[in-house]
Amino acid sequence: MIDRLKSMISGVEADFVDIRYEIKTETNINFTGREIRNVGSNRTDGYVVRAGKNGGFSTATVTREEDIPRAVELAVEGAETIIATGGKESVMAEVPLVKETIKLALDGDPREISIDDKMELTRKYNDLMLEQPSIETTSITYREIGREKHYANSEGTEVSEEIITTNIMGEVIAKRDNLVQNIRVAIGGADGYNRLLDREEDFTKRAQIAGKLLDAEPVKGGTYNVILSPMLAGVFTHEAFGHFSEADIIEDNPSLREKMSLGKKLGSDVISIVADSTIPNQIGYYVYDDEGVAVKPVTLMDKGVLTGRLHSRRTASAFGEPVSGHAVAEDMRYEPIVRMGTIYIKPGEKNLDELLAELGNGLYLIDGKGGQTSGENFTFGAQYGFEIKNGIIGSMVRDINIMGNLFTTLQNIESIGNDLELSERGGCGKGQLNIKSALGGPHVLIRNMVVGGA
Amino acid sequence: MKRLLDMAAKVSDQAEVFSNRNDSSSLEMRNGKPSDISASIQSGYALRILKDGRIGTSYTKNLLNREELVSNALDSLKGKVKAGFSFPGPSEIPSAWEPDGSVSRMGFHDLHSRSSKVLDYMRGKIDGQIDVNTARGVMNMAIMNTNGLDVSRKSSFMYIFASLLFPNTETAVRKLYLSRKVGDFPESDLDELIKLYTSGLPEVDILTGRMKVVFTPNTMYTLLWRLSAATSGGAFYNKVSPLMDKRGEKVLSEKVTLYGDPTEPEEVDQHFFDDEGVPTKKHTVFENGVFKNLILNLDYADKLNEKSTGTGYREGMWGGETIAIPPGPSLKCSRIAAGDASFEDMIKGIDRGVIVLGVLGAHSGNILNGDFSVGLNPGLYVENGEIKGRVRDGMIAGNVYDVLQNIESVENRLHDSFTGGKYPSILIDDVSVAAK
Repeated sequence: MIDRLKSMISGVEADFVDIRYEIKTETNINFTGREIRNVGSNRTDGYVVRAGKNGGFSTATVTREEDIPRAVELAVEGAETIIATGGKESVMAEVPLVKETIKLALDGDPREISIDDKMELTRKYNDLMLEQPSIETTSITYREIGREKHYANSEGTEVSEEIITTNIMGEVIAKRDNLVQNIRVAIGGADGYNRLLDREEDFTKRAQIAGKLLDAEPVKGGTYNVILSPMLAGVFTHEAFGHFSEADIIEDNPSLREKMSLGKKLGSDVISIVADSTIPNQIGYYVYDDEGVAVKPVTLMDKGVLTGRLHSRRTASAFGEPVSGHAVAEDMRYEPIVRMGTIYIKPGEKNLDELLAELGNGLYLIDGKGGQTSGENFTFGAQYGFEIKNGIIGSMVRDINIMGNLFTTLQNIESIGNDLELSERGGCGKGQLNIKSALGGPHVLIRNMVVGGA
Repeated sequence: MKRLLDMAAKVSDQAEVFSNRNDSSSLEMRNGKPSDISASIQSGYALRILKDGRIGTSYTKNLLNREELVSNALDSLKGKVKAGFSFPGPSEIPSAWEPDGSVSRMGFHDLHSRSSKVLDYMRGKIDGQIDVNTARGVMNMAIMNTNGLDVSRKSSFMYIFASLLFPNTETAVRKLYLSRKVGDFPESDLDELIKLYTSGLPEVDILTGRMKVVFTPNTMYTLLWRLSAATSGGAFYNKVSPLMDKRGEKVLSEKVTLYGDPTEPEEVDQHFFDDEGVPTKKHTVFENGVFKNLILNLDYADKLNEKSTGTGYREGMWGGETIAIPPGPSLKCSRIAAGDASFEDMIKGIDRGVIVLGVLGAHSGNILNGDFSVGLNPGLYVENGEIKGRVRDGMIAGNVYDVLQNIESVENRLHDSFTGGKYPSILIDDVSVAAK
């Protein structure tokens, strides 16, 4: 395959050309309630061509091989247009030339498991949830996504890598009269099928929480001191800070770029943040990004000081900072953009009881329900929470969304727990869906968070 | 397509092939300079077969191996997914607007020139960063089935999306110009954008409390997402809609009329059949606050013993690959009927309130139950009819069935929103606003 790709971009009149071909396989089994709604295994493919010329840079994606010449033409023309219209000059940072094929290392290859077995496993977990009190329905999906990627560029790099991600995930819905409450559930990873086995307890517990939410009160809007659970701390890290550490987000906003200069003290002394997609057995694991660069761990913040950033080759050059291997695409329909991979706050020294005592009065917020960021402003939802009075866990609350400003919130982080938990699913939607956006952290205590509520 | 359909017909009771081919390109200008140009030519095929009351599905982007596609659909049948519906046969379908070729011929330099006109107009009027994205696309889709349906359509669009960023932030006021022909951003719309930007320059701190809130067209999806979820056939079939047993009842203010109409002559995405080949028409979900109709695709229409409403589309909550998503209920080309108030008069009538120009986190929270809790990004604070500035760290929250009872007025004009659909601004009383 690599040889065919090389021939497709040979002789192109440009300073730099690369091409990525991907075969994407997807298996989906979806239950809604007890009913199977969708079952199928499918295979698609396509190409992404990028060209750099005279300092301009552009991308074209196509499905069919016969459209490759047109894709090359469009990418080169786009690069020329950028420069001709006074646009941004781009230089690819120098990286080692690589020729490598990465083989899958799995604990249980899902491709060798029959669809019947996958269906039965999903059905078992689904039935367990439906048996719990007050559960009205579920929407649970087994999803297996394989990406067989082949990459070649005009510098001579040739990389092939295969990634398979498996999940069983969805939501469980409880209902009483007209009140409907839901809780998300997800297990999975990129290290094989066996991770999905023997997980009955995970599903049972999630369904029980959904039932209990029917008796919870909506949280009252206002400003609170809060403890975030490890998963919610992960959502905060991803949404509020992580996206700001992706160089392409701030690259063309001079004032934000100035605010995010390396060496600046942005957070309190207790907070250190790492992005590390090399941790094995995590959903965010990969070896090479989608421009043939080996991914490296990056310490983004050390004791409140900004120390690193996530880059593509192009942004690394623009910022004059080291490449990090974080140019990742959703699939063959997209050019790679800077994505954060596995991001988490480094654990501290306090256990949860100590954090609760330190909090005194406030909210203990648990598990993420999606988030969004726009520059330094962020929101994220908590799946549920508890009121804390004098350090004691009290009533359950629901309908919790938090908003904040990154810079003030980083300064308001007061204490870090000594635990660490990483997510088993991704799903970041920065223009493209990234199913490998792993996140997590320890429990974290933050002062003065705005909580929306009824 | 025909060969694939014939092959599928031999192994099923009924079969359907959906195909698409889209050609699009875009130019992004950040901080006044072109920063990104990209192009895309994507195609795909989706197959659905019905056999013995079950459905099998498959898809691929490159139709290299028809046998594999049919075989995957047959394997999918093994899941025993129930399907009692039939694919529609041929019907009288009017011709939709045909692209005039102007969008198809647009090159990268044309995209740049359209963006530059916006920048030139804005230059000197504001000091902040201006970002402009311009894109064009030509879309082809076709559906054939074994019941004799053979329909296709071609459409084109271009858009210009202008954002004025507040200093030292990515928070912006934004507006979309959307057209099916090549065109330029109306200067009057740019003037409105400049006015909102200028009035939002000061940052203000406000007190937590209940106050008036104006949802503007670009934020209307916060409310409509929840209404769509509750009126979708799936929510009724699974008995989880808070509107169960409320059809025919007044559940919102009489000022709310929500409908979808893909057949409107001025609709950029005008079409006369949905993604299952069912004829489309004006479909009213709420009329003067009364819950009138569900949003259905063929499958849920059959399961609920209703008629299909021509609202079956291959689209997901987060976009996604069209061919990979089975048709589901969706209200396309949605509209909220205009009221009788001008935007200026709405603002003048606010003693204390917030104009919501953008939100963060509309996808969080208990959507099915109608709850929302979103960050203002930005929200402009109004006191005694005058905009004082943009709110620092504010959130609004509520339940759509509560807040849409308290509508004071609806704007007399519809605007394109960047999430699709055309809506007026809506002034609502007594909404919870949280702030530092």
